Amino acid sequence: MTALAEHEGDVEPEAAHLIRSARFRAEREDDWQRLDALLRRVERRGIRSLSFAEAERLATLYGKTLTALSIAREISLDRNLLTYLEVLTARAFLAVYAPQQTLRGLLRRLLVYGIPGAVRRTGGAILFAALALFLGGLAGFLLFQDDPTWFNTFVPAGLGGSRGLGSTEAELLEVIYSGADAATDQLGAFASFLFSHNTRIAIFVFALGVVFCMPSFALTFYNGLIIGAFFGLHADRGVAYDLFGWLSIHGVTELGAIIIACAGGFHLGLGVIFPGRMRRADALRARGRDAVKLAVLAALMLLVAALLEAFLRQRIQDTELRLAIGWGIGLLWLAWFLLSGRRPA
Amino acid sequence: MTLAASPPRRRGPLSAWRAWRERRRERAKERGPRRLLANYLPPEGVPLNFVVAGLGSRLVAQIIDIMLTLIGTLAFIVLLNLTDAVPQTALSAIAALVFFFARIPYYVMAEILWNGQTLGKRILGIRVISADGRSLSAHAVTVRNLMKELEVFLPIGLATAATRMEALWAVISLLWVAGLIAIPVFHGRRQRLGDMIAGTYVVRTPKAVLLPDLTAEEGGASAAQFAFAPHHLDHYGRFELQTLERLLHQQPGRQRRAALRRRNELMAEVAGTVAKRIGFTEEIGESSAEAFLRDFYRAQRGYLENRKLLGDAREDKFHRDPESADR
Repeated sequence: MTALAEHEGDVEPEAAHLIRSARFRAEREDDWQRLDALLRRVERRGIRSLSFAEAERLATLYGKTLTALSIAREISLDRNLLTYLEVLTARAFLAVYAPQQTLRGLLRRLLVYGIPGAVRRTGGAILFAALALFLGGLAGFLLFQDDPTWFNTFVPAGLGGSRGLGSTEAELLEVIYSGADAATDQLGAFASFLFSHNTRIAIFVFALGVVFCMPSFALTFYNGLIIGAFFGLHADRGVAYDLFGWLSIHGVTELGAIIIACAGGFHLGLGVIFPGRMRRADALRARGRDAVKLAVLAALMLLVAALLEAFLRQRIQDTELRLAIGWGIGLLWLAWFLLSGRRPA
Repeated sequence: MTLAASPPRRRGPLSAWRAWRERRRERAKERGPRRLLANYLPPEGVPLNFVVAGLGSRLVAQIIDIMLTLIGTLAFIVLLNLTDAVPQTALSAIAALVFFFARIPYYVMAEILWNGQTLGKRILGIRVISADGRSLSAHAVTVRNLMKELEVFLPIGLATAATRMEALWAVISLLWVAGLIAIPVFHGRRQRLGDMIAGTYVVRTPKAVLLPDLTAEEGGASAAQFAFAPHHLDHYGRFELQTLERLLHQQPGRQRRAALRRRNELMAEVAGTVAKRIGFTEEIGESSAEAFLRDFYRAQRGYLENRKLLGDAREDKFHRDPESADR
């Protein structure tokens, strides 16, 4: 001990009055103050307020201070100094490793590469989801043919508006071709009601997929049942073609959104059922990357569907034009999914 | 036969509960008053520490965010309505659109652009960080805020619809909400479901000031009034040293006379206790108690730091090593 103390004494005569950890601090304190000043600016005005040289200095000072922290942990017992260094390096870490993307760059990458890539990678799940909806529709239609009172079981009150088993052909046609003269703000309210209804369905269909896909399948199948029963009713009155046009203009996009959301749920659920060589939680997290993109896509499609529904559905009275717009937009979606981002950036 | 050797002690549920509470209290004492996110590893490989944000501040931040977005959207819609910029008929569609963007997209964009902070989090001084020590990815932010739809907005919707529900649904939704609240309450690092899936933590924005070094004042050793021998310095460890540091860092400043007197009394008392414990026999005057403590702090810190470098780290006055004291 005494030998060490003597040795300490003659290392650096000019700083001999300081103990080792204090000397350590005195040598580096200027760097810390400079880093602190830079960080205060970044925290207040963002990393963009720094010049190139300053940003470079920030990175260098971060590395130096990190080294100082790990030395200080070994040699110093000064609690205040250690706390300060811990906090300073944590702040510098947050500044250096802040998300660097711009919003435009993020959106571009998501729209050009992220979403279409995710759709192409999850093609099987999407086909499966479309099948669930189609089977539901078929079952609904056939059941309605068998016994029309199924309609009341499937279709929740309020969703069909004034339409029901008692409606005549004229009444059904009136809803389909009302519009130009009808109170449009009422229609807008109905559209926003449907929008929130559909968003809620999409969220449930997506999130509940985690439970072995079953709730997603059931909900999508049920949605198909509603549509099938609706078709059954209109086919019975001989206005199926008109209904097809009326539904197509926004329904192609809207049902597409439900299918996509359901496929996202399936994608997650398949990870739970067949995790492969990963643990289930890890499989879920890995599959989450594509599933979330599908969820974002579903939200986007629902938004477009709501806009189509609010602004175009009742304005355009011609069934052929409704069909052309609805399926044309459907083709555009398909082209986006299949063609975009094929070439790497 | 073990039964004969030691008859089973009667342990009612009450005593089991007491034991559990005792264990919890002890564990909380070991953990310290704040929840530390220790050994957070950035790419540089030096572990950092963060303090996990409390559920109270997160709740308040969430409420502030909801209020701000609600007020913002309502003001926007009222303004649109007043200025007649758009026809009445399109208003409800635009309102639906604005309300849509005021929810998840707002949180996602805010947390990406403001480095893990929304307005509410900014006000409360908390932020989101990525659990893997890398920068916060857009994917993680999207996931944790998509889950917010299920964890925050759905319960709010359920609460407003509770009176109109059938009993079964009311019970199911109550269970759902209770489960959601229970997850972060019982999670050691206060992660909610969305945080777990996204791999994120919510931490307090770190803050600290650098105070002057207590050992580096006025000439140091040459100006010291009191000299200590190694046998004086063998009694205390890190814990006692840093407690003394905390005491000495309390600057008198412009305190009132009564406060100053109380401080001097405290210093004298501590100096007396320390002197008695370490076997320091020289006379310490009432007025030089603080000088004695400063000199002792300086000598003790130098000594303990040297011991630590030589592989003899002393956690406290029982000379435990830090590893065993952590347990």
